[in-house]
Amino acid sequence: MNLITETAAWLTDPAQWSGPGDIPQRLLEHLGLSALSLLAALAIALPAGLFIGHTRRGTALAANLANIGRAIPSLAVIGIVLPFTAAIDPQLGFKVYPTLVAMVILAIPPILVNAEAGVIGVDRDLVESARAMGMREAQVLRSVEIPVALPVILTGIRSAATQIVATMTLGAIFGSGGLGRFLVEGIAQNDDGKIFGGVVLVASLALVTEAVFAVLQRAGTSAGLRRPEPNRRAIPSVVT
Amino acid sequence: MRLSRTLALGASLLVLLSACSTGGGSKPTIKIGSVGFDEARVVAEIYAQALEADGYTVDRAGIGLGSRKVLLPALESGQIDLQPEYIGSGLASGYGGASTSDPATNRTELQKVLDGKGGGITVLDYTPAVDTNALVVRKDTADQYNLKTWGDLAAVQNDLKWGLATDCPTNPVCAKALKDAYGIDPADVTLLDACSTPMADALLAGTIDVAELCSTGPEIIVNGWVRLEDDKGTQPADNIAPLVRNDFLAKTDKAAFSKILNDISAKIDTPTLAQLYYDVAVGLKDTKDVASAWLKANGFVK
Repeated sequence: MNLITETAAWLTDPAQWSGPGDIPQRLLEHLGLSALSLLAALAIALPAGLFIGHTRRGTALAANLANIGRAIPSLAVIGIVLPFTAAIDPQLGFKVYPTLVAMVILAIPPILVNAEAGVIGVDRDLVESARAMGMREAQVLRSVEIPVALPVILTGIRSAATQIVATMTLGAIFGSGGLGRFLVEGIAQNDDGKIFGGVVLVASLALVTEAVFAVLQRAGTSAGLRRPEPNRRAIPSVVT
Repeated sequence: MRLSRTLALGASLLVLLSACSTGGGSKPTIKIGSVGFDEARVVAEIYAQALEADGYTVDRAGIGLGSRKVLLPALESGQIDLQPEYIGSGLASGYGGASTSDPATNRTELQKVLDGKGGGITVLDYTPAVDTNALVVRKDTADQYNLKTWGDLAAVQNDLKWGLATDCPTNPVCAKALKDAYGIDPADVTLLDACSTPMADALLAGTIDVAELCSTGPEIIVNGWVRLEDDKGTQPADNIAPLVRNDFLAKTDKAAFSKILNDISAKIDTPTLAQLYYDVAVGLKDTKDVASAWLKANGFVK
């Protein structure tokens, strides 16, 4: 049997679709933890990025923090965090929290940097006009800067979501659930079908995530921004 | 500076030239590999340094390469020439053979299988040291449930959280042996690397109550854990033996080469192995330092 038929055989084996540890269960675990990580990262990085973009304070600090966040390997984060969280809760602190923390750290930089860059890139004339019309600062942010910057902000979230879905597999080394289990168990059990079945599932999920966020991004772009007039100043290019 | 560079270049050319002149009795470069955990790495390093002391050049790129899944194909295809192997588990989980608790039988059986692999692979003498798969519990768990043997675990299996090796479900000496011999098929199992830090961490933190570790594992002693007895003798005798490719043996003086490794293997008994493992995993010493100290202390190198 070659790799393709082995992988297909594994993916279509009814045993993989029912019972504990089957594909639907691992998929749900993967999606659940990914969504939780993304929400936590959004709660931290989005307000911070918007604030920095609006006030233009702390841009250097944010850039440095984001770079540090990108430089730390997720596997190292899991290893460092694990002893502390496991001491607090022997079950979730071992199998779930370390991966969660690593994924939040992974997702913060793209969200933060894009929110900041998106807001900074908004046409100054627009912002000043809004202020001249009597808008308060919060109104300027909410009614002018965020809608105009939304495509860039969403690009950051899209990038973060895809990275989480793909990197989440690492947690399986430390007993976490999710699709990474198929990779880790497949390698240990000398089962190529399981390894590449898992690979196909993770890669497909990452592509689907990318597609879903691309649709969201399109829907979230204000109609006035979709076809910029020729002499209009361009929206800053995507920062990922 | 320039002079030293020229010298270095000349020296490396000489090494290249001498490596090219192969043939019976020469001492070509040997590529050594091992699985990832500390004990296997330190044993591989001991073999490596002993061969270096005898004039061989050693390529260590394969030491700590990965699991059997990675290592055996590397040996069969000639990407490595030598690896220390746990003969019982190697036979059972590497090649699907039936391993026993008798190391001599395991060696004979493994040799039969390896005769037909990668143009022939030789199993040299095995160590008196045995490192077998062990089920380990914390002292408080052992006291609470009055656990001494694997048989004792059967009755309380679902009160406990189990940590078993990632390859356990398909490993004939793991899940199948537990189920067939003891009726153990627990509901709550976390699969982790056996003999690894995450497994020990999980037992320490209480994530799991029963851990599959190596019997020589230093965490067992350090933490005062209780190793339960495999009262039905399901686990194979995992003595360690070097596996060497025949095409490599053909290039060198086979008898002298084998003698070097066999003399060393004969000296490695279970307490020695446990101490070597301890020095690396708990003492946090470099495998190279631990290996060279042991070789000096036992008179293999000066």
